[in-house]
Parts: sequence; C-alpha cells; structure tokens
Amino acid sequence: MNKEYINPDPGFAGSSAEASDARLSALLRESRTAPALPPRFQEGVWRRIEEADAPVKTNGGVAWLDALAALVLRPRLALATAAALMIAGALLGVRDGSQRAHQDAQARYLAAVAPNSLH
Amino acid sequence: MNRSLVILLGALALCAALLGGSYAVSRRVCQNCMSKSVSDLDWLQREFHLSDADLARIQKLHEGYLPKCGEMCAKIAAKKLELETALNGSTNVSPVAQQKLAELAALRAQCQAQMLQHFTEVSQTMPPEQGRRYLAEMQRLTLGLHEQTESSMSGSAGHEHHH
Repeated sequence: MNKEYINPDPGFAGSSAEASDARLSALLRESRTAPALPPRFQEGVWRRIEEADAPVKTNGGVAWLDALAALVLRPRLALATAAALMIAGALLGVRDGSQRAHQDAQARYLAAVAPNSLH
Repeated sequence: MNRSLVILLGALALCAALLGGSYAVSRRVCQNCMSKSVSDLDWLQREFHLSDADLARIQKLHEGYLPKCGEMCAKIAAKKLELETALNGSTNVSPVAQQKLAELAALRAQCQAQMLQHFTEVSQTMPPEQGRRYLAEMQRLTLGLHEQTESSMSGSAGHEHHH
C-alpha cells in the first residue's frame, strides 16, 4: 500500500523505488524519538520474570492442613480407615463384653451361695 | 484453611463415632449373648474348666446347699428385725439389744461356717488343682470383703479414730 503512495507510478524502474524506500525509512527513524528507559530497567525486568516463574510461597501450617484434608478425602483411604476403626471397636467391645459377662456370672454364683457376704 | 480444618475435624468426629459406636454395639451384643440363659453354675464351669460330670456332682451339692443357705438367711433376717426392735427408741444399748447382737453374730458365724463347708465340699469334687484354686478364690471373695473393712477400720491402715 505504502509503496503505491510513495511510488505511484507502477511503470517506474524497481531500483529507484527501493532507494526511495530506504531514504524514507531513514527519515522516519530519525524523526522518531525513543524515550529514555528508567534506571536499572533491565534488572527490574529480569527480577519480575524470576518472580513469576517461582512457585507460590504458602504458609507451612496451612499447606500441611490442606494436604491432610486432601488425604482424608480420598475415598479408598476413608473406607479403609472406617473399616479398621469399626473392626477395632468391635474387637474391643467383644473383649470388654465377655469380661463383663464373666464378672456378672461370677456375681450371680456368689449371690446364690454367699448372699450375706455381699452386703 | 478453614475448609481443611472443618474437613479434618469432621473426619475426626466421624472416626470417634465409628469407633465408639462399634465398641458399644459389640459390647452390648456380646454381653447379652454370653449372659443369656446361663445358670448360677456356668461361671464355675468356665472358670475352672469343669467337665460335665464334675458339674453334675457340683449341681447336686449346690441344690442341697441352697435350702440350707435360704433357711440361714431367713434366721438372720428375723434376728436383725429383733435387734432393730430392741434398739428402737432407746438412747443406749440395752442388755436385750446386746443379747440380740450376740445372737446375730453367732448366726452369721454359723452361716459362714456352713458356706465354707459347702465350698470345701465343692472343691473336693473338682480336679485337685482347680479345687485348690476354687477354695482360695471363694475365701478371697466371701471373707475378703470383711477383711478389707476391718483393715480399713483398724489403726494399721493409718486410720485414726476420733471419738
């Protein structure tokens, strides 16, 4: 498009058009003033890149709780824990229940043969 | 953090409920099953590993002893009533009350002697080792209670009377 404006005559020789483009580009470069970069600009850019790449720092206690909560919510682990707890509770209950029944049976025998010694 | 904490606390509560619930249910079921339709002598058979023949002999002794025991209990109850009547309304221990106390003590001693005699007879129907263990256990259970009371009331246990 620009070429058409700069060099409107399509029949003109190619070398002349290229020379005209080069001159125009040089003029444009000279006319554009680049603003001065702030001090330590490059260093600042690199620092921000490194910060963006670094992993997100979190509080140690919170991370530990989150990890444990995630572990607890695993279905297999939750089911296994529930089953283990129920089995442990049942075993303890059977042990205590049989001990209690044994004591009751002993008390029943004593109440039959020695009622006065009990009170 | 709050969500994780709630999850963990909920999980802990669920664990406690599961453990406690299964413990309570199995304990109750086990106790009911083991206590269901047991006779007075079931404990003897289990504790002292008695055969059916041993148990049958003991059963005979037991059935012979129970009426005597009941009779002695009735005598003691009647004597206690007499003692209460003698003590009723009086501010000091009268000679009649002292007499009733002595009679009550004599009856209790007689009851204990009869009981110990029964334990001896039962122990003799058991295998020797089990018999010795039974006799020692019965003496500990029936006489030990009085010994504990007496030792706690005596000065040897560090107890001082302040009258």
